[in-house]
Amino acid sequence: MAGEYRIIDEAQRQKPDDDVIAQIRARYPVEPEIDKILTRKMHRRREGKGYSGVTLERLVDGTQRLIGDRLGQPVTIANARWLSGGASKLQMMFDLDWRGPDGGEERTETLVLRMEPAASVTESSRAREFEVIQAVEGIIPAPRAYWVDPDGDFLPYPAMIYAFSSGTAKPSYDAGKVSGLGQNYGPELRAKLAPQFVDLLAKLHTSDIAQAKGMEHFAPAEVGSNASVIRQVNAMRRIWEEDRIEEEPIMEIIYRWLIANAPTLDHVSIVHGDYRSGNFLFDEAKGEITAWLDWEGASFGDRHQDLTYAVMPSFAHIAEDGQTLLGSGMMAEHDLYAAYEKASGLTVDPVRITYFNIYNRYLIAILTLAASARASRSRGTHQDVLVNFVVGLGYPSLADLSDYYLGVVA
Amino acid sequence: MIRDFDSQLQVALRALEEVVAPALGSAEKHVVEQLMLAIATIGFVKSRLPEARRFYRMELRNCIDLATEAGRIAGVADALAHPIAAGNSALADPEADIAEFEAASRNLRDAVTALSHAAVGQPHQATLEAAILGMSGSLVAQNRVWGASFGFEIQPENLPKAAW
Repeated sequence: MAGEYRIIDEAQRQKPDDDVIAQIRARYPVEPEIDKILTRKMHRRREGKGYSGVTLERLVDGTQRLIGDRLGQPVTIANARWLSGGASKLQMMFDLDWRGPDGGEERTETLVLRMEPAASVTESSRAREFEVIQAVEGIIPAPRAYWVDPDGDFLPYPAMIYAFSSGTAKPSYDAGKVSGLGQNYGPELRAKLAPQFVDLLAKLHTSDIAQAKGMEHFAPAEVGSNASVIRQVNAMRRIWEEDRIEEEPIMEIIYRWLIANAPTLDHVSIVHGDYRSGNFLFDEAKGEITAWLDWEGASFGDRHQDLTYAVMPSFAHIAEDGQTLLGSGMMAEHDLYAAYEKASGLTVDPVRITYFNIYNRYLIAILTLAASARASRSRGTHQDVLVNFVVGLGYPSLADLSDYYLGVVA
Repeated sequence: MIRDFDSQLQVALRALEEVVAPALGSAEKHVVEQLMLAIATIGFVKSRLPEARRFYRMELRNCIDLATEAGRIAGVADALAHPIAAGNSALADPEADIAEFEAASRNLRDAVTALSHAAVGQPHQATLEAAILGMSGSLVAQNRVWGASFGFEIQPENLPKAAW
């Protein structure tokens, strides 16, 4: 750990000066692109720029200019409308008449503009999201990514454009859940979706990363090294330092444990980072997963991160037997690991599972008690009331983290 | 006082639930969702507002207890004397408002964490960490009770009783 430990008070957190920002950056080193994004967040906050409502007309204008710049000719988009779903990004659906990326026949394609608000549950890089979606094409169903505005040169905030994917994120069986948290798909749909849920994760993790071209904004990870894991722990710790409303002394203890016990990689995978219920679309009639969404937390890393994340209690519900906890509404934890081993040919290591069970609980506690709470308080999003609602997950998550950690170190 | 908080929130909620929500039947999904979440949030405030002062006082008492024990274990009771005294002073002041309780609790949380950091490599590190983990649990549980209406508890029936 570099940098001296200092208490940062609420006033400094609300309006961080250069010294505070530099101190945090030095203390918790992260990947360069993550550093850029988190530093930009602190600068925005210092300037007091909350989220200002954006009209469809403004988005249409920016979208047309972005596409026109990338295609080298003016374009007109049509039928622009808001697209709901998700807790963190603002989305607009629209139609574009064009010849496609390969210059084929003229056609009308429905596309999605995905733009970040001023602050977010997950402060992330549109460049990374764009690159990883392109990299997984052909491996796992995901929207086809076309253009990115990584620094908000054309749109009010950084954004990307990808093809619209059909399907729904919530089943009609249980459509009232916020952001897919605790989503219950019901027994029939679950039986169809669960095997795909596991198989697609196995495909992602076993894909040849040497073939993953264009992921320039990702730091590499290496077998035999734990540097990538430590960078991710530091990213979470940095968000805790920058965003929290109040300190929880147990978080510092668990951070130290995560650094001291970071496992080396035995295999480098593309890790989705948010692989759970609510983050994929499916055809309810056919019971088929049509697209995986929300790639903004992706990284090169350890498969156990996704595996344990998928079965976090925060995303689970009790099955019809009144006892079994179904991770992401799919399978019990051990059933999911067994199915994954069979599908991937990779082992599921109990030591790494324990580590990432703590890591992901730590992450969820931070994204709810710190990032979500700060983003909504600072009027930073287009749906503060939803982001504030998600903060309600924070204390159950913190209790779960504390209980799990005590069970490991006892 | 006629304009008591409970009545004001009640009339606002009735307007949103019984007039605005039904009128949004064909509105875009995200508009309806935000309304429903706004109703749930105001409902939470309505139910907890009368208890807020008691809750924040309980939280502060808990933080004082933790800081006192942490200081004892680390052998640096003097270092925490000021934030503990400030917390006790707020509790003893009949006119102290919630913001003062919150500020005092915040300072104590920061001080305990700084103490934990300074304990790394010291003989008392494990004892201090065990005390922090052990004593934080009850306050985290009370925060879960406080926000249970948001619906994120898998088994809310297993939560402890409110202690404020």
